[in-house]
Amino acid sequence: MNMKKTMKIAGLICLTLLMVALPLLGSACGTGEKTLKIGITTPTTGKAAEKGSLMGHANLDAIEYVNTELGGVGGYTIEVEWLDNAYDPGKMVNAVQKFMDDNCLIFINASSAMMTAAMTTANQNEFPGIAAFTAPILYRPPEHVYGQLPDYGDDWIVFAEYYMENIWDGEGKPKMALHLLANSTGYGALDGAKAMADELGIELILPPEEHLADTISETESLTRIKAQDPDVLYIASTPAPASVIIQNAYELGMLDDMTVACGHAAFTQALVDLAGADIVEGVYGVFPTVAWGDDVPGMDKMTEYCLANHPDDYGNMDYITSWAQSLIVAEILRLTLEEVGYDVLAAGGVEAWNAIEEYGIQRLDYDVEGLHGEVKYVAGDNRLSKSLRVFQIESGEMEPITDWIDAPVVEYENFDWFGN
Amino acid sequence: MNLPAGVRNFSYARDMAIFRTKTHWAMLLLLFIILFTAPGYLPNYWLGVINLIFITIIAATGLNILTGYCGQLSIGHAGFIAAGAYTSAVLTNSLGLPFLVGLISAGLLSGLIGVLFGLPSLRVKGFYLAISTIAAQFIIIWVINHWSGVTGGFVGMSVPPAEIGGFQFISQSSKYFLILSLTIMVIFFAKNLVRTRVGRAFVAIRDNDLAAEVMGIDLFRYKLLAFFIGCFLAGIAGALLAHCKYGFLNAEYFSLTESILFVGMIIIGGLGTTVGPIFGVILIRLLDEMLRMEFVPMLESTFKALPAGWASGLAPLIFGLVIILFLILEPRGLAHRWQLFKASYRLWPFSY
Repeated sequence: MNMKKTMKIAGLICLTLLMVALPLLGSACGTGEKTLKIGITTPTTGKAAEKGSLMGHANLDAIEYVNTELGGVGGYTIEVEWLDNAYDPGKMVNAVQKFMDDNCLIFINASSAMMTAAMTTANQNEFPGIAAFTAPILYRPPEHVYGQLPDYGDDWIVFAEYYMENIWDGEGKPKMALHLLANSTGYGALDGAKAMADELGIELILPPEEHLADTISETESLTRIKAQDPDVLYIASTPAPASVIIQNAYELGMLDDMTVACGHAAFTQALVDLAGADIVEGVYGVFPTVAWGDDVPGMDKMTEYCLANHPDDYGNMDYITSWAQSLIVAEILRLTLEEVGYDVLAAGGVEAWNAIEEYGIQRLDYDVEGLHGEVKYVAGDNRLSKSLRVFQIESGEMEPITDWIDAPVVEYENFDWFGN
Repeated sequence: MNLPAGVRNFSYARDMAIFRTKTHWAMLLLLFIILFTAPGYLPNYWLGVINLIFITIIAATGLNILTGYCGQLSIGHAGFIAAGAYTSAVLTNSLGLPFLVGLISAGLLSGLIGVLFGLPSLRVKGFYLAISTIAAQFIIIWVINHWSGVTGGFVGMSVPPAEIGGFQFISQSSKYFLILSLTIMVIFFAKNLVRTRVGRAFVAIRDNDLAAEVMGIDLFRYKLLAFFIGCFLAGIAGALLAHCKYGFLNAEYFSLTESILFVGMIIIGGLGTTVGPIFGVILIRLLDEMLRMEFVPMLESTFKALPAGWASGLAPLIFGLVIILFLILEPRGLAHRWQLFKASYRLWPFSY
């Protein structure tokens, strides 16, 4: 046998074993400090890293702010077990199992897709979790998974209500076409539309048109939509494909007598930058958080930490979402701690998780320092914030044209088509 | 008289046995003791990781039969796993059929779909066949996404836990025993398959399909049989993923990246060996898991002065680097290294 090669192989195996052993040794050396442990998992690598990475930054920056400037929660430091789920469902399930094994009190994550992978494990073990972005399938019927913000179905409902009350002045039912991103972002909006269109008096043009995240032309699908002569086009997507759709609609001359609106995943400054301010002028959208620079109590501190730790993230709305998510968790811990004391939480397990839900999450009444709509639990509804504002693009700027509007609770599980 | 220099078998059957010596049986017994007592000493997280490893071994064993033994390159394995997962989910959730019916149907349907996409293998091979199996990946996922009345479409569908005879497999340890039992059966099946006439026909086709045909091997039959067996096991793995790992299915879970990773696993483990997929899967899954779940968080917590998230990029970097190093240093796979180790053990203390 070639000894040199064998030595190389042995060295490689030793290196691998060392990498495996080091963390285990590290984890065995605790600090002895009394802490409140939470789990955070974000898709920091993988195909959703563009969003997940900065959302992880914001989560951790906010916890750093709570620990260093607010003295933790009730005098106890929040200890974070942060794991990258790489937008991989297997890793997500393993991460949640690890959080449970390691006595985390609650877990938070960014993406609805990853939460759907983990929700069965979380619900079976009564382990509470909060997702930033959500679809109705996550918490209808409500169990132990919560949504930080209104879901994509809520986007559609809030806009549709606004449209019927403030824009539509024709006879009969307006015809609405849907252009959906081919994943839960798009089809979460379809859930809302299917549930509420009749009640709101809107005629949906079905089946909806769908597109991929990397689409470069939607002329064909828009031509089909144009033939149906809709009064409104609703786009549930992300900024890049939404900009393509609006540009194509403009080229087809559809924007003159048709209202266009976007769900919150598409409605960011990137939409204006990509499509061009002239083309998106007058486009409506809904959004669940304030914008950078808005005059709200939490803005200064968040901006300070963002610029100090991750200046590249400044201006991205997802940072606001995740910063607020960590503040909500701190508030949940504070409420629970006040009610049950440290020992119950330190013991961990189902008793601590139930306490977190009963005395923390379900007693929330928190303004999130103004960063998004009020967070308040209502029995039977696991959306923590239900508020959205309607915006319209004016001269390249997204201007709010309403105050916060609460999306109604929809019991999707009562519809035959839901979840089957 | 037993001499220390080797093993002499007195019958053909004894010579053909998988476990031929007392040492083999003792090691097998020890391995079973370690495996079957694992829930007693491992936390749930590690049981979850091992469950995923075992499910992946089942799928990779199927791919190894198809690619490693029969030489039919497939880059659509995640698609076949998805077909199995959704078959079982639909049968148990929507139709209320028992889990075992769903499990077996998952294998059968995936196997039949595999046969369908394996038909081009009669005319094309190598990269051309790879392209046709990539088509399988895209077509299966497209059908799942657009057959929304059955599969839940882009939103997905929930899956009930596995249940046999009224017992629900909900805890990690109960899932572990179910998956472990099936994994042992699959490995035993694969080990024996390659020692049969069918297995030898597969190897003959892989080495030279024209020569195999001249020798009387029916290429049509054996190539499609390889596709059926490989995809049958993928379907079984898919059903286990659905019922024992996720509990909710979305087509996004079965990406092309996963398919490519499966090929990587059997190459790193060693193509055309029974232990190859086992080694490859354990290495890839454990390395990936340890880097993301232990190594990166440890770096983050050790170097707190650096901005949050600074170490996350190291995981894919080191992961890729280790794979490249293994391929450079041991291109014949870990199974080959295992063979060398066993040979050295038999001859020790002599060099030759």
